[in-house]
This record gives sequence, structure tokens and C-alpha cells, in this order.
Amino acid sequence: MSPPQQPSSTNPNSLKIRLTHRFLHNLNNLNKKRSNLDNTQIHRRSHRVKLAAYASMARVVGSRRAWSRAILWKIRNRKVFTRNKRVDHKTTHHHHLARSIKRRTTNHSNHKREYVDPNGNSGQEVKLRKLVPGVETMDACGLLDETADYIKCLATQVEVMRNLVDLYSTI
Amino acid sequence: MEKDKTFTSEGNGISQAWNPILGMGIQDSELNRNCFFNPNCEDQRDLFESALSSIVSSPVSSHPGIPIPGSADCIVLRELIGRLGSICNSSEISPHNSCYNTPLNSPPNLNLSITDHQIQGNYHPIPPAPFPTDPGFVERAARFSNFGGKNESFKAAGLGDSMEEPSVSETGTKEKSTNRRKRKVVPKGKGKETQSSTTISAKDDKVVAEVEKGESDAKRSKSNEKSTEPPKDYIHVRARRGQATDSHSLAERVRREKISERMKFLQDLVPGCNKVTGKAVMLDEIINYVQSLQRQVEFLSMKLATVNPRMDVNMEALLSKDMFRPLVSLPNNVSPFDASVQPFPYGLQSQINGMIPDGPENQISMNPLMAAMHRNSITKPPHIDGFGEASTLWENDLQSVVKMAIGQDQPQGFHGQMKVEL
Repeated sequence: MSPPQQPSSTNPNSLKIRLTHRFLHNLNNLNKKRSNLDNTQIHRRSHRVKLAAYASMARVVGSRRAWSRAILWKIRNRKVFTRNKRVDHKTTHHHHLARSIKRRTTNHSNHKREYVDPNGNSGQEVKLRKLVPGVETMDACGLLDETADYIKCLATQVEVMRNLVDLYSTI
Repeated sequence: MEKDKTFTSEGNGISQAWNPILGMGIQDSELNRNCFFNPNCEDQRDLFESALSSIVSSPVSSHPGIPIPGSADCIVLRELIGRLGSICNSSEISPHNSCYNTPLNSPPNLNLSITDHQIQGNYHPIPPAPFPTDPGFVERAARFSNFGGKNESFKAAGLGDSMEEPSVSETGTKEKSTNRRKRKVVPKGKGKETQSSTTISAKDDKVVAEVEKGESDAKRSKSNEKSTEPPKDYIHVRARRGQATDSHSLAERVRREKISERMKFLQDLVPGCNKVTGKAVMLDEIINYVQSLQRQVEFLSMKLATVNPRMDVNMEALLSKDMFRPLVSLPNNVSPFDASVQPFPYGLQSQINGMIPDGPENQISMNPLMAAMHRNSITKPPHIDGFGEASTLWENDLQSVVKMAIGQDQPQGFHGQMKVEL
């Protein structure tokens, strides 16, 4: 394997390499885990691949960024939720879901807000906050920071996935 | 040093102010400097006195705009600057007197002629090349200029004297750092100045400050003249000319500058946003770009889910092939379904056709990935069954994908549904 680069995510090549590694690792795990080879519909599998993509993106960046932390948190809670759902089909999963949501009240409290926040944010900023995970309670400055980092990682992830698709399709 | 003694014996305040300059000049040059300095000292002092008095007599308000009260003073100033320049350009002055007597006619450095032009107010596009050759001069001049207090006059002078090239703006950021360096040096200069009388020091400051301005205006770009605050320390924000100075607006301005700086960075990230100015439009573009990127991730994950061969592929082989691949440029607004669904089934079809008739041994030449797979298949015979399974799997996938391609509203449906879940 290529040697691990320094943790700064500003180097695009190192980010791409790390993303590729992590994404392939997650994909392989995905393939090994479930035996849903033939019968599952495409969209369920593609949904899992999408989750793997976001998870790999967040894992590579780590806990440095608010958006990566939010993604990792969501995925972890989703795992807990599905695991509990499988174990006990009764109402306990509702409890777990409520508990997991309550732990992050800040994220979900703004869902029903109108387009003008009390801070006087315009509708665009609110839209941006909905798009980028984990920036609900940040100020405008931090929001732009997180957006920039998120855009960079997303663009790299898309590139990696595109290359992979090309690779697989020209096998 | 002997020169200091001669000057201090006269008891002239101006000479005291000039001492450090002369002292430094002496440190650099040879002894013959002393020789031709002494006979001229009388002329010097008279000239200095007249120059400084003329400058002081003219009101401060004349400083904004071209700082030239009159032609006579202009000549005097030029001589002053000439002397200053010739003193400090010690290494290049020839030991002859002629150079020193007529500093204006034969300037030892290109610097000098340029400063003359500047003081005269002629507009010459100054190439920044000569200036870096003589930073010592500027530094020494800076030591004796009350740089911090003279910002107002600098800015005003800079506004009137628009010598800066717009192309120097990228060096403007460099010059900001040099200006910061100069500011650090200022306290040392202030310590030396306490010897001289306050009025004389003020006059001297103005003289040297003008020289300093003349020297460094061409260095400083327009961006620098607008914002004289050192950007590194956000606490020490200096109020600009004509703006409110209370703490609220200062903090507000700092915040706004931070935001605009980040918007500029985002402008570089988002392709095709160079001409867009304005926060609202920029935010729209950013939102569109993030949305399109997320849509692309979904689409590519769907593609991957169908194309993924479901076998243990060697990651190194994959990566080696991946790295050789040229970078794909991302389209800004992607309608991925139209573009890539059509060729997609064809790719799969050719793939499957390639797989089934060719035996595994023919695939070695294709790529390292195939070589790895071939190796796997040879070492572990059960994997050959995996090949067969894969091909049937792909046939199934191909049919499903073709169905999806025909019914395009269906992927749109779960496409929206998938977005909601995450």
C-alpha cells in the first residue's frame, strides 16, 4: 500500500489516495458482509454504496471537521438503530431512536424553522446549512469554512468513484 | 567616531538627527567618505535647515496630494534625498568627490532618479525590480520615520500619488509583510530619536517619511494603502480613513473581512465562479454545486452497485490502474442520467461478451487488474466458478439496468427518496 501521507487534508493527491483506500475497503466490507448478491434491488445496494462513500469520506477526514463528525455520528446511530431493530422488533427501537435523536437536539431543533433565522440569515444560508451536515449551529464564518472543506472532499470522492466505475466498466 | 565629534561640537540638532545615518554610512564605507564629507558639511547643514524649515512652514494639509510645496522646496528636497541616497548607497559610490557633489546629476543608483521622479510627481511606471536591490536604504529610512503615526499622510499621499501598478497587487501581500517588518523596527528608531529635539525630530520624520513614501509607494499596491492594518493580529485593527472607530464596527468589519476571504477561497473551489461577484449570487452557485455533487455521488453509487464485480479484487492492482487514469473534470451542472446511461449498457454488454468467450488466459494482457484476477483464478480453482457466477450476475444486472435506463422516472423516484434518508 502507498505510505500514509501527513494528516493535512490540503494536499489533494493524498486526500484522493486515502479516499480511494478507504472507499475500497468499505466496499469490500460491504460485499463481504451481506449476501444480497442477486436478489436485492439495485437501489438498496446503491444506497449502501452511497453510505459507504459518505462513511469513507468522513473517516478519512476524521473528527477534525464538523461535517465529518456529523456524518460519522449519523452512521453510527443508524447502525445502532438497525441492530436494535433486528434484535427486538418491539417498541424498543422507537426508544432507541428517540434517545439517539435526543442526544443531538441541536441538529434537529431547527428543522421546522422558517427561512429567516433569528440571526437574520437569508434563505440561502439556511439552504446551505441543510446541505452540509453538521453546520446547523455554526456562525457564517465557520459555515463557509465547513462548506469549503466539504466541497473539496465531495469533489474528490466523486472523482474516485468515477474512476472506479470506469475501471470496473472497462474490465 | 570623528564625524560625530565634529557634528556634536557644532551643537546642531539636525546634525544629531543625521548622526545615525552618517554613522551607519561610515560603518559601511571606507575612510574617504569622511574626507569629502567634512568640506561639504557646512553646505549640508544650511541646506538641511532651509529645507526643513520650508517643509515645516508649509501646513500639514498640503501633504495630502502631491507633497511638493513649490519648486524651490522641490529642489531642496531632491538634494536632501540625493544626499540621503548617496550616503546610504555606500558600496556603490566611487571615492571621487564628483559623485557626491552632484548627487542628482550622476545618481549612484537607479533608485535615486526614480525618487526624484516621484517627488516631482512625474508618472512613470516604476518597475519593481530596482527596489529590491536597495532594501537597506528603505530600512534605514524606516528606522527614523514615525511610521505608525504617519499612516494618515501616507495614505493621503498615496491616494494622490497613484504610482502603484495594478499588476503589483500580488506583491502587495509581500509588501505587507515587509511593512510589518518595518513596523517592528520602528521602536528602535524611536529610541535613537529621543536625543534630538522634538520639533527637529518631527521635521526629520516628515522629510524621511516622504522619502520613505517615495521609495515604498511603488512597492505598495493599492490594496495596501486601503488596509494598513497587519492582518495577522485581529485584535490590533486600525481604523481606516473615514470609517467609524468604535469597537462594534471594528469587530463587524473584521468579521466581514473574514467572510469575504472565505468567499474568495470558495470561489476558487467552485468551478466557473471567477466572474461572479456578490455574496448572494456566490451562495447560489455554492448551493447548486453542492447539490450537484451530492447528486453525482448518488448516481455513481448506483452505477458502482451495478458494476461492482462482487469478488475479492486485488486492491493494489486496482489502485495502480486507478492512478494512471487521467483526472476527470467534473461538469458543473450534471444531468447524469441522459449522458451516461446510454453508453452504460453497451459497456456491460461488450464486457460480458469479452468475458464469456475468452478464456481466463487471454486476459493477462489487458491490465494489471485482470492479471490479478487471473492469478487468483489459477491459484484457487473455486474462483473460476466465481467467474461464471459473476457473468450471470452481470447479465442480471445488465437487464435491470437496461430496464432502468428505459424507465427513467423510476430512478428519479428512489433518487429523491434516497436523498431524504441521509
